[in-house]
Amino acid sequence: MTIVEARRLTRVFPMQAGPVTAVREASLRIEPGDYVAIGGPSGCGKSTLLHLLGCVDTPTMGSVWFEGRDVSALGDTERARIRLRRIGFVFQRFFLLPMLTAWENIELPQSEAGVPAAERKARTKSLLEFVELSARADHLPSQLSGGEMQRVAVARALANRPALLLADEPTGELDEDTGEHIAALFDRVHAEGTAIVLVTHNAALAARARTRLAMRSGTLST
Amino acid sequence: MAAAPSRHDGAGETVTALGLAWRTARRYRARAVLAIIGVAVIGALNFDMLLLSRGLLLSFAGLINSAGYNIRIVGSAGLSLARLPVEDAGKLLEQIRGLPQVASVAMLRSEPATTAQPSGPPTGLELIGTTDVDGDGIWNSIEGTGLAGLKTGTAGPARGSSQDDSMMPPAVISKSLASRLGLKADSTIRLRVRLADRMSALPAMTFRVVGVADFPFEAHDAYMVATTMDGFRAVHGGVLGDQADMILASAASPIPPEAAVAAISALRPDLRVFSNDQVIETFNRNNFAYFRQMSIVLSSTTAVFSFLLVATLLTVSVNQRLGEVAALRALGIRRRRIAATLVWEAALLVGLGGVLALPAGQLLAEVLDRILRRMPNLPEGLHFFVFEPRALVLHGSLLVATAAVAALYPVWLVATLPIAQTLRQEVVS
Repeated sequence: MTIVEARRLTRVFPMQAGPVTAVREASLRIEPGDYVAIGGPSGCGKSTLLHLLGCVDTPTMGSVWFEGRDVSALGDTERARIRLRRIGFVFQRFFLLPMLTAWENIELPQSEAGVPAAERKARTKSLLEFVELSARADHLPSQLSGGEMQRVAVARALANRPALLLADEPTGELDEDTGEHIAALFDRVHAEGTAIVLVTHNAALAARARTRLAMRSGTLST
Repeated sequence: MAAAPSRHDGAGETVTALGLAWRTARRYRARAVLAIIGVAVIGALNFDMLLLSRGLLLSFAGLINSAGYNIRIVGSAGLSLARLPVEDAGKLLEQIRGLPQVASVAMLRSEPATTAQPSGPPTGLELIGTTDVDGDGIWNSIEGTGLAGLKTGTAGPARGSSQDDSMMPPAVISKSLASRLGLKADSTIRLRVRLADRMSALPAMTFRVVGVADFPFEAHDAYMVATTMDGFRAVHGGVLGDQADMILASAASPIPPEAAVAAISALRPDLRVFSNDQVIETFNRNNFAYFRQMSIVLSSTTAVFSFLLVATLLTVSVNQRLGEVAALRALGIRRRRIAATLVWEAALLVGLGGVLALPAGQLLAEVLDRILRRMPNLPEGLHFFVFEPRALVLHGSLLVATAAVAALYPVWLVATLPIAQTLRQEVVS
């Protein structure tokens, strides 16, 4: 089943100086096992498209279908449920909760989803092993490096076994070597069967994707 | 990378909304400490206002209820404690004593007096004459006996030291006067009455001190001495009208005081007869309304300050964490959970501050009470700040309401946060 399908998406932001069209009639289909990178200059609408695909924003025109359901017809609670269980988000600025340890940050979406404690524990342990941070389980984000924080963020995004991982400039705050480690981590996530859509300026990261798309002034092209 | 031993060996812990709130408070420690101190200070003032709102009334009720009498009879006009004479008091006393609804009755008269000790300057005091030799409700004995401990003298005023010892009227003096004059039980004290609005040349008279006592109605800057009605008449030169300033009575058990009040009122419709509850209610309506109103205004003001403090700190805190909040929402964390975290955070700040406010408020109340009780003519046993469980319940309720209202705006901010726009702004910033 198609994970997400965007049909002629347009997103216009009303501004004081006049409306700005961030995404213009973009259509896209993500199937299980896809690995898509969207490139393009700053402000071209990449992140907006990602937010539309991730059910955190609604299009001005067009529609998003997630696993066969029209997202615009869903209520806020149902969209939150999709985001929690079917989509993983990785942000440029990590956005880990600073008062929680790496372990707790990864556990949080699971406890929100009602995963039983024993299962949660096993999943968190295995995710920390997957991102090679078992030794830092009890560390707060402030005690981790940028690369480590992003690895925890990836583990958190995978916590509820999502069908789709969305990443917005995941190496944007990292140096080249650390970015390379994160890129390798995405390869492994993809190899485990999770579809990935990432937006990036990083050509090396984009080069690892199976499908590379470009965006310019809100228009998506191959 | 080798896995280090982890503390996550047991079942996985759930990070609850309360847990998140607690971690947040610990994480932003300085802000939390400031908020808690602020709430504690404001809460202390609020608690004091609650103690003040009914403190005087409770204290007054405690004072008059501590007496063995629950009915007060005064002259035909004015307040129940004002000095308005009851005419034909002796006859009335007997009539009341004969009522089946009444268990006991006593008469009270008082007159300003001064000491006339051989050494030392005269000291002003209030001399009370009573038919109640045990002094129920008038004094609490500390040393010696009541007025019944010595046969009541009936002689006229003594001249110099020629007064016969066996004829000395008994006197119970206040602890403060005993301390001032260095007197104790079995000492003697010379007193002279000062007749109000009249020139007086009444000679001094020597009284035998039969007891030292606490007089709850004694002001901190005044002294009280009690004697028998015979002694009171004697110090007035043996001439005293059949009047009383107040008659005290107690209803016979199990008759309610109101029934006894009705029976006494029927005897003498020209008098004002009150049960203690009626006196308290009258004072509550007329005399203590100012304190209540002042307390309500100040309580409301301090509650608003608490609300502003906590609401401001929470709003600032949420604004600092908008990116985090938007990211959590993007991850599918429900609004309700994030809102619950904020409500818990408000509850923690206000709750901890509110708990600290109690000892701080009690301490402050004691200091303020000491200051206010220096007002002249205020009975020593009267307090402005009195603790009652109701104040604690109200304090708690106000704090809960403050925390809930203070969390409203931050919760609204979180609930209406546009996720995508916030994430974009966070990246741009």
